Amino acid sequence: MDFGFTEEQEKLRKEVKDYFINELPSDYKTGVFPCSEELVAFLREVESKLGKKGWIAPGWPKEYGGLNLGEIERDIIREESGYWDIFWPDVIGIMMAGPALYLFGTEEQKKRFLPAIAKGEAIWLECFTEPNAGTDEGSMELRAVADGDDYVFNGQKCFITTQPIKPDYLYTEARTLDIEPKHRGLTLFLIPADTPGITYNPLPAMDNRLTSEIFFEDARVPKEYMIGELNRGFYHAMTTLEFERANTGVPARLKHELHEFIQFCRETKRNGKPLIDDPYVRDTLADIAVRIEVLRLALWRTSWRFSERERLGPLDYDLGGLNGKEIVAPMYEAMMNILGLYGQLKTGSKWAQLAGSIERKWEVSRSTHPEGTIEALKIVLAGRGLGLPRRR
Amino acid sequence: MDFTLSEEQEMLKKMARDFLESNCPESFVREMERDEKGYSPDLWHKIAELGWQGLIFPEKYGGAEGSFMDLAVLYEEMGRAMFPSPHLSTVVLGGLTILAAGNEEQKAELLPKITNGDVKLSLALTEPSASWDADGVAVRATADGDDYIIDGTKLFVHDAHIADYLLCVTRTKNGTVPEDGITLFLVDAKSPGISYTMLKTIDGSNKQSEVVFNKVRVPKKNMVGNLNGGWAPLARVLQQGAVMQCAEMVGAGQKVLEITVDYAKTRVQFGNPIGIYQWIQDHCIYLLNYVDGSRWVTYQAAWKLSENLPYDLEVAIAKAWTSDAYEKACWRAHQVLAGVGFTIERGLLPLFTTRAKVQQLYLGDSAYHRKKIAKLIENWSPEISKGKPRGLWEKGEPWGEKDLKIWPWVQDRKFRPKV
Repeated sequence: MDFGFTEEQEKLRKEVKDYFINELPSDYKTGVFPCSEELVAFLREVESKLGKKGWIAPGWPKEYGGLNLGEIERDIIREESGYWDIFWPDVIGIMMAGPALYLFGTEEQKKRFLPAIAKGEAIWLECFTEPNAGTDEGSMELRAVADGDDYVFNGQKCFITTQPIKPDYLYTEARTLDIEPKHRGLTLFLIPADTPGITYNPLPAMDNRLTSEIFFEDARVPKEYMIGELNRGFYHAMTTLEFERANTGVPARLKHELHEFIQFCRETKRNGKPLIDDPYVRDTLADIAVRIEVLRLALWRTSWRFSERERLGPLDYDLGGLNGKEIVAPMYEAMMNILGLYGQLKTGSKWAQLAGSIERKWEVSRSTHPEGTIEALKIVLAGRGLGLPRRR
Repeated sequence: MDFTLSEEQEMLKKMARDFLESNCPESFVREMERDEKGYSPDLWHKIAELGWQGLIFPEKYGGAEGSFMDLAVLYEEMGRAMFPSPHLSTVVLGGLTILAAGNEEQKAELLPKITNGDVKLSLALTEPSASWDADGVAVRATADGDDYIIDGTKLFVHDAHIADYLLCVTRTKNGTVPEDGITLFLVDAKSPGISYTMLKTIDGSNKQSEVVFNKVRVPKKNMVGNLNGGWAPLARVLQQGAVMQCAEMVGAGQKVLEITVDYAKTRVQFGNPIGIYQWIQDHCIYLLNYVDGSRWVTYQAAWKLSENLPYDLEVAIAKAWTSDAYEKACWRAHQVLAGVGFTIERGLLPLFTTRAKVQQLYLGDSAYHRKKIAKLIENWSPEISKGKPRGLWEKGEPWGEKDLKIWPWVQDRKFRPKV
């Protein structure tokens, strides 16, 4: 057993940590969805600086814009940037499309698309969910039909998490074959976002987050934009999803928020006494600290398993996923309860505490469905994890 | 980072499991519940031959100089088998206190005897105040010539009925803080004036007693550590004990998980194995999650102890999480096992459940450890970034639903969908 890091790893951690402390503005705030063009531009600037240092995709080989670092090192960088809740405008490129291309793309695709992701110069959207295919990914109906040198797309995606910046590529899964079971007829594609025939309709979500519906009407995409094997998209996507399972940035972000909240509880008086002296508040803060630690260890275990190049199963990563999904909402719920009536105030109200950040994060914490709902995770854990029988 | 046991630890684990599977079957566990002593002297000597009592002690006292991580591995297996023995009382709470605070003469006299199984200890700390803190200690020790006279009542004393010596935590001074003025004494368990009454508890395996000290005379040379300075070494040993208690719960929790999942796969109702039903799966998954989380917080704490790194926070987190998690794990198991889980002679679960409550409370329950955590984190502050301020976070209204300005790039598009 060794829960520590090597000297080299600690050095890397300090370098990343110092970088953020020195680089981020002193008025920097976490958890803010970019709400002005200037802010978007600033975040893009941060992303591109990190890209230049190779910290966006440190695990990739140097020729693709990475640093050829191991998983532990990658996740140290994730942890330190997670502490600052760095909002990655290109989160999909970094976490999903990039890994998919890296694992299943052709050499040409890798050379063409990965460096832009690693440098923070591209914006990708993940286009998986459809009106009739959420958790049941296999039921996708967006159709890709081969026609000469192209595939022609017709259909619709929805609830696509969108950035306030124009996207460059859509990381898409579409139906290429009608077959039972349905998930054996899906294929991965990358689609240039400005392809004629594609239109976007915004569906604003909680806390001013953005999602959109995306419509495809005879949108033509060259065949070389297919990722991996024909009709193997579902399997490719599942393998790629594993890359998100060791997101050590999440507990680090939660810890930052706990740090801020503890400071707030020290400085804020209720009934003439600092909040931090209230036994209920103390118990709650301690409980949050415990849960963050449980999550942190689960994710580091996953990261370590990756680094050992072991074949992973759901027991290796989905517990981290489950803990991650389950800790966040109750944490903000508890903080909202401590704020009491003040918890309802939004950013911009002169009475808002902590500039309304707890309320904002509380709204966002209702979103536990990305990469699969808690229930979907449980199905995987029960079946593939514990070997419990499945319904036919 | 390394989340595996070493080769030696794997061997220790296997050896312990094999030994306990053949020497500590369910029938033995049940027999010991009814047994007056609650443990088998024969087995106690057998495990001494295997080196279990000496695992953690230095070689010069007959020990193997193992680490706390090694000890945790052993405790996990003892927990899995529900092995009834005074190991925690003797080796950890008693032995490690003597190792930490005792003088050379005491160590040379007692530790080899602990190691070879000839001496059993019991820590007499808690009182009717039911507190794990120094301010709960009111039993007095008063100097009288070459002796001290101990007077008062200790309660919830584990393994007092079979101990050769009681390690008695006494108050010798009312200091400015409760920790000041605590002195430890090694008391011959048969000293005149000590009386024992076994407590009737929910768990027959962890036998606890009320121990009344009626003007019990103890020679001054039996003082362990410094006069009035007993709390500091004891507090560290209580933390070490808490981690071992966690390891025991991890092992027990793993067994509860296995029993439960196995039952869910084989028990048929409505024509299906019940594990096919999602509510049952839900119970199994949370059970798994409680045990898995407990394992890593416990191992981390044991590793910190082994490496002699600062461990206050990690130990408190381990006990705060594991105590509740194990209790909740047993609750989930009860939902799956239903009648079988409630019937004492039909399965192991009732045994695990009653132990879970005792282990949850022993050496501080979750709320107690959260109090410690709160103390450790109350001064946490966020890191402060130092770059040039940009004024971007106060400026402007957040983009909202009110218009599609939030979508500048969507606005550019000529074509709007037909919805």
